[in-house]
Parts: sequence; structure tokens; C-alpha cells
Amino acid sequence: MRRRTFLQSLLAVFGAVSVASFAYPLLRFLAPPSDANRDRKFTLAKKDIPIGTSRVVLVNDKPVIVINEQGKGYIALSSVCTHLGCLVGYEAAKNILVCPCHGGTYDLEGNVLSGPPPRPLSKVPLKVESEQLVIG
Amino acid sequence: MNGTAKRIRNWLEVRVGLDELIRSNLTDYRVPSNINLFHTLGAVAVVGYLIQVITGICLLIYYIPHADHAFRSVQEIMTRVPYGWLFRQMHVVGSNLLIAAVFVHMVTIFLMGNYKRPRELTWISGGLLMVITLCFGFSGYLLPWTQLSYWATTVATSIPTAFPVVGDFVSRLLRGGSSVTGITLTRFFAVHVSLLPPLFVFLMVVHIALIRRIGLSATPFGRSDEEKRPLTEFRKKLHPDGYPYYPYLLQKQALMGILYFVVMFLVISFAPTFFFPEEATVPADAFKTPESIRPEWYFLAPYQMLKIIPNKFLGISLQIILLAVFIFWPFLDTHKEKNIFKRPVLRGVFIAIMIAMVILMWWGRR
Repeated sequence: MRRRTFLQSLLAVFGAVSVASFAYPLLRFLAPPSDANRDRKFTLAKKDIPIGTSRVVLVNDKPVIVINEQGKGYIALSSVCTHLGCLVGYEAAKNILVCPCHGGTYDLEGNVLSGPPPRPLSKVPLKVESEQLVIG
Repeated sequence: MNGTAKRIRNWLEVRVGLDELIRSNLTDYRVPSNINLFHTLGAVAVVGYLIQVITGICLLIYYIPHADHAFRSVQEIMTRVPYGWLFRQMHVVGSNLLIAAVFVHMVTIFLMGNYKRPRELTWISGGLLMVITLCFGFSGYLLPWTQLSYWATTVATSIPTAFPVVGDFVSRLLRGGSSVTGITLTRFFAVHVSLLPPLFVFLMVVHIALIRRIGLSATPFGRSDEEKRPLTEFRKKLHPDGYPYYPYLLQKQALMGILYFVVMFLVISFAPTFFFPEEATVPADAFKTPESIRPEWYFLAPYQMLKIIPNKFLGISLQIILLAVFIFWPFLDTHKEKNIFKRPVLRGVFIAIMIAMVILMWWGRR
């Protein structure tokens, strides 16, 4: 190998290592820390959600809609529309969840009824403990 | 010219060659004699950018980029800071007018066929400048921290999730978490005031340098004198029989710049709430998406497309393909004829796209 070729190769290797050693920390710096391991429960008084109404609460930093459905009791679902992230609202008259942004609708099991959402709303664990609701 | 001015001029002359600089850039720089008002739109855009820079710096003095203070600081700019309302209105109305000016500039360049060889790079740099201008609009939209800005940003930052594998990561990278929070606000602020401006200045320098280096193109409507030679070597387009840039074109540009100001102040004076719908005056509420959430007018067409195309991946991929076609159009349209009046198919497609855009915007606004 010629001396000049060797030096050019060496420069390319050092250059690539230098860029990579800066790019990786930069990417890690910009990426937010993962919140996958958070597992905090949210407690809510039953009286705060009368029959036929809903309330949005933050559980582990994620919005959850808690609905008190006539005859069926309490349901907790992620309130983030699976289309583009707007918060769904409970329409008590039709007993459905509606996204105000692009008109997607879901039933109270979280299944998509109409519109562009690609996936159902995810269910969130909910336990009724005497006068309290424990969500998450 | 009085003695002091003469001395300053001489001082500059012997150091930087002022006379030659003025001659080569203004009086001896010839532009095509059939140049028209549409050739001034690039300069109008430059005026618009300067207004955004100056008013943006003024707003920076009082704006607080924090989720707890952003909305209030903007309200104080509007109500308590002397003439704060003026600078904010100029910034908001200016951003909308600027996007309109850039859009009209690109449409006229398209209609005059001036994207054709050897000006492909000029078109691409202009297209990228338009994308950056839209990024300025998008990143600045969140900063007042209103219901409208919060939810429009939520929708926009969800768009990458349509893509498998990297989508969620990109969305989290933009937001700084799983949802739009104060971290998103500081990220967007940093992008708006420190990442986009140098990128923009770089592209603008490239764009203007290319225009000067390649030479202005005459319109196809007056006479068809564009290059017909085989493109085997670089040859600057000169216009020895044209008019001097100063005063001929520069005065036209100044006139259009003043017209830009007139339109801006007409909107500020007689329709001050035109760009401020009700949700733009309500502080952001992460627990409630407003009933009528819609983006700024320039994002209405893509927004409505997302609404009517049932598959999210398909809808967003289609928009990315359309954007790529727009930016790389000079390489797709290899037809030699510049005059769109002699190209019925292209004319038909152009009119159809314009009508589709207007319908989508009107539909998205309802």
C-alpha cells in the first residue's frame, strides 16, 4: 500500500469514528428518556364521575378517559385517538367515543366504529375499591 | 454630496472598490428587457423574511418559552408591552403573507418554465426554502401555547407514527416524550430561533448565488430566447440588450415591497382577528381537544387529505411523494417547451391541482 493511500484510509477511518462518536451522544441527548417502566396508579373518587359522564385523567403521563356507563359501570380506556393523537370525547347520547380532529368513532370497548383510526383504543386496568377507582 | 460623505465614499472606494461594486451589482448588471412584476416576488419574499427576523427578535425580548408562562407572556406582549401588539401582529400576519408570497413566487416560476435546465438547482433550493418557511410556521405555531397551537402540534407530531419501526421514535424525538408537553415547547422554540435560521440563511445564499451565477431567465411569453444549445458547458445567461438592474428592476421590487407592507397593515388595521380564531386565544389544555381544531390555511389541504384517506400510512406517504415530486419536478419534466400555453397536458394537470387544493382547503376549513 502506498503511503498516501494509507494516510487517506487512516483519515477516513478517524473521520468516521469522530463523526460517529459525536452523532451517537447527540441522538441519545435528543431522544427523550423512556417511560415504559413507569407503573403508578391513579386514584379517583367514584362520586367524581356520575352515571353517563366521563373524565380524563393522567395515568403515568398518559391521558386516560374514565367513563361511567349506564347499567355497565366504569370503563377506562386510553383517550389518545390512534389516528393522530387527539383526545377522544364521550358522547353519552350515542354511547360512543368521538375524536374531534378527524371524526373517528369508537365503541366503549375501544373498537373502531368509523373514520380513519387504524387501531382500537387500548384498555387501561381499572379496579373499584369501595368508594375509589384505582386506574393503571 | 457634501465633504464628509465624499470622504467616507473615498475611504470605502480605496479599500473595497465601492464604485466597481455598485456598477457590477446595480447599474451594469443587466436584466431581460421583457422582465415583469412577477420577477419581483423573490425580492418580496426577502422583504417578508426581514420583517419576520426583526419582529421575531422584538418578540424574543418578552416571550418566555415555558409551558407555565408562554401563554401569559404572549398575552402581556399583546396587552401591556408598548406596541407589543403591533410587533406580534406583524409577525403573525407577516408569516401568513410570506408563505403566500413564496407560494405565488413558485407558481409563477413554474408557469414561466424557469425551473428548466440549467436552473434545476435554483428550483430545488427554492423548494427547500419553501419547506423551511413552512417549518418556521409549524414550529412557531406552538409557541403561544394556545389550545389551537397545542392540538395542531399534537396532530402534526403524530404523523410520523404512521411509519413502521422508526415512526414512534421520530414522534417521541419531536415531542421530547410521549405527548406534547413543556419539553416540546422548548424543543420547538430552539428549532424556531436557532436551528432553522442558519439553515434558511445558507439556502437563501445558495439560491441567490445561483440566480446571479446562472443569470436571469427571460419569460416565455414575450419572446422565446431560452437556451436551446446542448448543455455541454457552463455559459452564464447575459442580457446585453436588457435594462440595468438599477433603477429598472430594483424600483419595481421596491414598489412590490411597499405593496406587501400595505397588505400587511390593511389586515392588521381592518381584520386584526383574521389569523386568530377563538381557540388561539384560549390557553393550552392537555385534557381537552377542542371541537373545531384545524391548522393554518397553508396546511389545510394536507390536513383534509389525511381526513379523507382512510389509511394513515397511505395518506402520509402520498403527501411525501407529492412533496418529492414538487421539489424534484425539473428532473421529471424534461420537455423542452417552456411556454405552458403550448403544453395542454401540463396546463390541465396544473389547473386540476390548483382546483383540488382550493377544494381541499375549503373543505378542511368547514
